[in-house]
Amino acid sequence: MLLFLQSLINGILLGGIYASYSAGFSLIFGVMGVINIFHGEMVMLGAFLTYWLFTLFHIDPFLTLPLSFFLLFVFGYLVQRFVIHRVVEAPPMISYILTFGIHLIIAYSALWVWTADFRAVTTSYSGLNATIGGVIIPYARLATFGLALIVVAGLYFLLKKTETGRAIQAAAQDKEMARLMGVNITRTYALTFGIGAAVTGVAGSLISTYFIIFPQMGLSYTIMAFCVVVLGGMGYIPGTLWGGLILGVVQSLIATYLNAGLSGALTFILLFIVLIVRPAGIAGKGIVD
Amino acid sequence: MTLLPITICLLIVPLAGFSGYLVRLLAMIFLWVGKAGCWNILSGMTGYIDFGAVGYYGIGSYATALLMSKAHAPFLVSVLVSGLVSALIALPIGLPTLRLRGAYFGIATLAFAEAMKQIILEFDKTAGVRFFEGPHGITLPIGPGNEFFYYFGFGVMVVVIAMTYWIRRSKFGYALRAVREAEQAAELAGVDTLSAKVKAYMISAFFLGLIGGIETYWLTYITPHMVFDVLITIQMVVMSLLGGMGTVFGPAVGASFLTVLYELFHRDFPYTYTILVGFIIVVVVLLMPKGIVGTLRKR
Repeated sequence: MLLFLQSLINGILLGGIYASYSAGFSLIFGVMGVINIFHGEMVMLGAFLTYWLFTLFHIDPFLTLPLSFFLLFVFGYLVQRFVIHRVVEAPPMISYILTFGIHLIIAYSALWVWTADFRAVTTSYSGLNATIGGVIIPYARLATFGLALIVVAGLYFLLKKTETGRAIQAAAQDKEMARLMGVNITRTYALTFGIGAAVTGVAGSLISTYFIIFPQMGLSYTIMAFCVVVLGGMGYIPGTLWGGLILGVVQSLIATYLNAGLSGALTFILLFIVLIVRPAGIAGKGIVD
Repeated sequence: MTLLPITICLLIVPLAGFSGYLVRLLAMIFLWVGKAGCWNILSGMTGYIDFGAVGYYGIGSYATALLMSKAHAPFLVSVLVSGLVSALIALPIGLPTLRLRGAYFGIATLAFAEAMKQIILEFDKTAGVRFFEGPHGITLPIGPGNEFFYYFGFGVMVVVIAMTYWIRRSKFGYALRAVREAEQAAELAGVDTLSAKVKAYMISAFFLGLIGGIETYWLTYITPHMVFDVLITIQMVVMSLLGGMGTVFGPAVGASFLTVLYELFHRDFPYTYTILVGFIIVVVVLLMPKGIVGTLRKR
């Protein structure tokens, strides 16, 4: 029973990690229809930013979060504004291929500069846990889980309650009509991409405190974000929490009771089945076309 | 016709006493042209971006490896069976996935290829048998020299290019291009788009399986990580894009260019090569989305 509870908690915390770095992916897809293949590189950049600030200047990882948010925002804004925006009218497949090219440039430039070494951020409080009734809860992962909740709630609030958010929603629903109503599409898209990149970078910064980081980690994060977002419903932000939790718990239970290697295979089989049976995601609120 | 002299030249290269390196390089180019051409048949013509094409290459590789190492089947039989196995698996996979639109098809195929890799990696441990040999990989009997694969690669390349040429001019090819231009309109006009897409998917899977089998015999040793490497799909995509998607000779131009670039840079500057490919993709997408062949033809 304790084993099951521990496995369940591990799964929920893992789900929080998944959700924290997938929300930006869902936002970018929902608004611009761009499948961003270099999404994982934004996680990597956030993680390395924290790593270098910690290693060189001994700045606490949690204090690097605002900087990570700001720098990734600027990065996302500029990439959308000056590169991706140029293919905004092209068929969607062009944007996958373009973002794929950017993925290669970032991942391999990072590999060149930082080498393929595995690195870790080890703070004085790394590995500290809370133990409740025998179940171990690592603080760093709990913090990421909290971040995932904040990110999802924040994006939800931003989209529903603010002027900018309504402009983003209008641009997502009908680009031409929004333009006629005075929404600056170019700026709104760049802003959306910037926000998506910023929350992803922050997730990357937190991930660096408990996962090994290396320049080529990105693609696997992109693929996981795909899975999470498809499960929760593409473009439906609260769905990333559902998608993340389901995936996290399923993987954790499989790893505990069957075989850790199988969890990868079953994740992809689950993704494949959900895509075919329920393309709008578990909650049925994703974008289908 | 400029094709005939080129063909004759290519046919006598291995006999004319050129270095083994050149023969090997050309054979590699032929096989890449074949792979990129396969990808082009479905994705180039219909615009359905297949991110899991390597799945069929890997299935073909494993089929040949198992047949030759465990059943001691002859090479030709193994390779043909590999193509058929790939095409047969493509049918149940293609029928549901090709109903999905755009982005979803890309993700589903990626998931398929990754799932295949994971299944082959974990099957033995889970089922308690020794069949796919998991991450250890399979060793094949030592094959003949580079000339053998040169001619095989050449043959496959010619067949794939001829096939693309034939498809483009047939009613089937028009159906595929109608899918790319306006799928719903094509459906309303009475084109059975799903059947056209599935056929193209199976043809592409057949030849990918075949090429997987040939390359496996050439390599004589494979692991799931080698033959299900997502980078192989990516090379196919970039080669087709660079040459011109949906054109007959686009993949050939793109594959030749990229393979030579790979030979020049990859050994000494592996990262530079990949970064360069990234920049090529960005520049091609932004400045000449029709690729080299498509851009030249427009003039």
